[in-house]
This record gives sequence, C-alpha cells and structure tokens, in this order.
Amino acid sequence: MCEGMNRPSVGIFGLTGCAGDQLVILNCEDQLLDLLGALDVRDFLLASSRNDVTCELDVAFVEGAVLSKRDEKHLRRIRERSATLVATGTCAVWGGVAAMDGGARRAQYLNDVYGELGAYYDSQPAKALHEVVKVDLNISGCPIEKGQFLAAVANLLNGDPPLLAEYPVCGECKMRENNCLLIEKGQVCCGPLTVAGCEARCPGLGMPCIGCRGPASDVNVESALSTFRSKGISEDQIVMKLRTFAPVAVTAGNAESVHG
Amino acid sequence: MAETIRVEHLARVEGHGGITVELDGDTIGSVRFDIFEGLRLLETMVRGRSYEDVAGVASRVCAICSVAHSLTSLKATETAFGIQVSPQTALLRQLLFRGENIQSHALHLFLLAVPDYLDYPGAAALARDRADLVMLGLHLKKLGNSIQESIGGRAVHPVNVAVGGFGKVPDADQLIALRHGLLDARKDCQTVIDLVASLPSADHCRCDTVFAALRSPGEYGYYAGEEITVISNGTRETIPVSEYRSLTNEKAVLHSHAKHSAFRGEPFMVGALARLAANSDLLDGSAGGFAERLGLALPSRNPMDNNKAQAVELVYDVECALRDVERLLDEGPRPEPPVAVRPRAGAGTAATEAPRGLLFHSYTYDQQGLLASADVITPTALNAASIENHLRHTVAQSRQIDAPSLTKKLEMVVRAYDPCISCSVHLVRKRHAV
Repeated sequence: MCEGMNRPSVGIFGLTGCAGDQLVILNCEDQLLDLLGALDVRDFLLASSRNDVTCELDVAFVEGAVLSKRDEKHLRRIRERSATLVATGTCAVWGGVAAMDGGARRAQYLNDVYGELGAYYDSQPAKALHEVVKVDLNISGCPIEKGQFLAAVANLLNGDPPLLAEYPVCGECKMRENNCLLIEKGQVCCGPLTVAGCEARCPGLGMPCIGCRGPASDVNVESALSTFRSKGISEDQIVMKLRTFAPVAVTAGNAESVHG
Repeated sequence: MAETIRVEHLARVEGHGGITVELDGDTIGSVRFDIFEGLRLLETMVRGRSYEDVAGVASRVCAICSVAHSLTSLKATETAFGIQVSPQTALLRQLLFRGENIQSHALHLFLLAVPDYLDYPGAAALARDRADLVMLGLHLKKLGNSIQESIGGRAVHPVNVAVGGFGKVPDADQLIALRHGLLDARKDCQTVIDLVASLPSADHCRCDTVFAALRSPGEYGYYAGEEITVISNGTRETIPVSEYRSLTNEKAVLHSHAKHSAFRGEPFMVGALARLAANSDLLDGSAGGFAERLGLALPSRNPMDNNKAQAVELVYDVECALRDVERLLDEGPRPEPPVAVRPRAGAGTAATEAPRGLLFHSYTYDQQGLLASADVITPTALNAASIENHLRHTVAQSRQIDAPSLTKKLEMVVRAYDPCISCSVHLVRKRHAV
C-alpha cells in the first residue's frame, strides 16, 4: 500500500446498504473523468455492465455490511483478489444502521415483516467487514465525505498511507467557532465521541451530531461521559444514540473504539 | 425445448437484483424480477426510538432518494402530532425534492440508461466517445446536489431537516448561488430534450398499464398532497393517502425480498411516467412542449417512455426550482426555528413522490413520542409486480430474436423503471397498534 501506483486496477463494490458511498463517488462530478483516467476501474457494477469479475485488483473499495451468505461469499472473493481492501462507509467499517439491534431479535423481525416466508430468506445479523475478512483501510462516514475519499485515492496513488482523523467532531466544531450544543443548550450531541472528518456538518447547522461516522479512537471517554452526566444526559441515552450507527463499538456503560 | 434466460446480477441499477425467464418452446413459463438485496429490517429496529431519531434512520433506507425518505418520514411524524409547518418550510422542502429529482434523474438518464440506447456498457466507455453527453449529465447532477447541499446540508442523507422545520434556513447568499447555477442550467434544457429525442426508439413491451401518483394541489410537485390518483383503462379515481393500503395490497413472494403490490388484482406503475399521466394538466411553461417534442402520448402504453418522462421532469424541475428560489429571494429568507413539538399518541401516514415514484411512510407513536410501529412502502416495491408484467410482455413481443438481444431488452425494461433495489426491500409491517 505504501508504494506509488501507476494507474492501479480498482474495483468498487456494494454489499447490503443504501449505496450512499458509491453515490458519493459518483457525486465527485468535477473529478470523475480525472478519476477514471487515473484509476483503471475494472469492476463497478453500479456504473457498468461490462466488468472483469475475476481479475486481481490493486484496490477494492467495499461499501455496505454483510447481511447474507451471499454477501459473505462475495466479500471473501473480493478479499482473495485484492491487494488492498478499503472498508468504505460506516456500514462497512462498523456494521451501520442494520446492525443497530446487534442481531438479537432477527428471527422475530423477519417473521414480523415477511410472515412464514421470513424463515426461507438468506438473512443473517449484520456484520462489519472486519468481522469477516482482513481490512486494510477504513473510511467511515454515513455517507463518506467526498474530500476524504479523494484524498485517500491521491494518497494510494502516491504511495502515502492515507491520513484520517482519529480525534472527535468537537475538534472541527471548535475550529468553525460553532456554539456548543451540548454545553450551552444541553442537547444530546454525539460530537465528543464521534470521529471527525465531516467539518462538524450538523452542529454547524444547529443540529446535534448523531454519530453517523462512528467512534473516535483518540478520545477521553470518561471525561466525555462526565460532561454528558453534568448536563443531565445519562450514559444509556448516549449509548442508545451511538448504537444507531456503530453498535459493535459500543457496549452499555463503555463507549470504546474496537477497531483502528 | 426448455430454456432459461438469466441475468444473475443486474448492472447499472442501484442494489442487488436479477432477471429469470423460463421458456418452453412457445410457452412462456415463469418470468421473475429477482431481488436478493440483504434484509436490513430497519423499520423494526427503529421501534421504540424517539420521534427525533426516526427520520435520520429512515433516510438510510436509500441514498439516492434520501431526501424523499427523510421528508416523508417528517411529514408522517408531523401528521401524527398534528404539526403544521410554515409556508417557508413547505416551499424549502418542495425545493429540496426538486434538487433530489434533478440529481437522481440526471444520474439515471445519462449515466445508467442512455448507455444502453447508444450501445455502451457504461458512462466511462461512453465518455471516451461522447464526453459532451456525460459532462452534460454530470453538470445537471451537480446542480441537483448543490440544491440538496444548500437546503438539506448534505447531498446524501440530509442533516439540516427536522420535525417542524429546518436546522438553519439557507441565507440569501446561498440562494443567489443556487439561482446562478439554475440560470446556467436552463441553457442546457433544450440540449437534454434534443438528446433524448434523438435516441433510437425502444418499444418492445407495449400494453395497457395502470398508473398511480400523488396529486399535489395547484402545482406539479412531489412533496405536498394527500390524495393518490389511479389511472386505469381510461378512468381516473382518487384514493386518500390515509387509505394507502387499499392501493398497495402487499403480499410476500419467495423469489423477491420486495413484497408485491396489486390494485384490484392488477400490477401498477409508479414514477415519472405515472406522474405525467396523472398530473400533466398541472405543467406550465415550456414543459408541455417538451413532452410533445418527445412524442409522449399520455397515459403511455410504453413503459420505456419513463426515460422520456424523466427528461421532461428534469428540465421542468430546473425551471420550477429557479421560480422557487426567486420567490424565496423576493420574500427574503427568514431564519425560523422548527415548530415546537408536543408529542402525543397517534398515527400519521404520509405520501410523497420520490424520484422513482410513490413513497409511503406510516407511523404510530406512543404518548412519549416513541415510535410504536412503522410501515414503509417504497416505489420500487410498488413497481416490482409491474416490472415482471412488462418483462413478460417483452418476451411475448420479442419471440423472433436471439437470446442476447432479448436479454438486453429485458435489462432495459428494468432499468427504465430506475429501480432502487435497496429501497424495495421491506423493513416492517405494522403489528402493534397503539
């Protein structure tokens, strides 16, 4: 990963998810044709009906979570053929919204939704990619930020290890000189525990952070929790919010990062 | 001789689906639009969550229609709590919908659908010969995204929307920048129509089709409205949104993770072509002329015309978004906090028009404002049975051609619907009434 690449072969894949991260890639309208020049995109089903589905790949970007045997098989095949596998987006990195309940009541939910047929569908509790295969790089975000994706591509092309923030959203929020929604208004803002990279989009609009990028690793969890408590916000409340996007990262009473 | 035509994994559509056609001599056996998108069951997972959290999860049903899911969710919650939003909020939401529609139609038409007509595997290959065309699509897509960013706070999964209003109302500078972009894009509109008019014709599954679309009062819109128009065999009838189940009549089928819908036993089509069929009397300005230039006879008997209908909406939305932005600038955008929310036990159902058609969110809340049940029915789920119907007609009307040509026609039918397969997969059924 740390050697420069001359027009690397690339695959862009979606497991189960909303396709938001692939959409962000297509949303790089100003860079898209340059990207297609710099990268040899060999397998991208969302964008092309002619794909090489067996060739070796220098880099695979994979979005979505693993929710079926089919997903799992697909992911293992991608891993076998790829030198660098990039978990792209919060579902791929953390499991995302489909993992919200930790898989506990899946059989019941399937029955609720599909009745007796539910038992026949190929369905399993949501897993992040790293729970199934080795992952080389994580770009989180729901969806990923365009700038972070483009910077990661540029780094890969130049042979530099991509630099992604490990500090929380609060750092970026302070840089933007936003009023603090937690301290000043007592709102349940997940900024202190959520990884930066979004330029504090939500607090910048007066909306509390909902933790869509997953947890920050470089954070003083105890201190953040004590700030929440001082504002009358219980640990359960904050854990409930954080579970929405990154359930594997959070256990009740102990918000911690499990994966760098 | 028995033969199976199969598309294992459809390209250039959002999500995971395929096509299976079983033939035995002259007899057409099973024709299936297979949906094997993983099951996320989001509606069940959001049960018990506060009303404040629901739209943020609902948005994640689908990225390309994340505005539609967010705003339909908010509309359902506001209905349940008896909240009336301000006229400015309603106008901004309508504008946000137009931004999403521009983004989604530009993506679908130029990057996903047009390559079929010109015999390219995708937009990257097309760009080598027709960079002008791909650039035109990207330019319009970017414009739609800029509307979503300015009003919704982000192009995918809007962050600036809330129950009762917006986090921050866009200021005059942002609106002026949008006006600039829209004025610029207006120059492209004729090119879009000329391009679509010049595409080779695709007409291989002609049949009577039932259409259903939301009717917005007084304008060709996507957000406001409480009534569904159904057009069937030359008759129109109206169904109140609150009685949506009498339209949808869903049932689970084994080959698809999307449930199938039928109205009085007939599959029906939703999306741009259905909207034009139901609401073309509400088009003003040059849009009527565009429909005529494309030879759109409404209601159409050719589902492939959905691509043309999207082109008409694309250029019409540029005009309307410009009008909406100018109105906001004339009135002066006023900062206003969201309407105060007083949760109460109750039910709310909302319908809107997502880019690919009718979308329903129906919720019940308990008195603390925690979600007790949710039902979400998406356009691609509504279309699933209709897609199979049109695939069957394609096979019946293409018996003399070779398998690869037939396969391409079948793929084009599915693609014309602009399916969003992530969306189509059901998340929940209503079980626990409050």
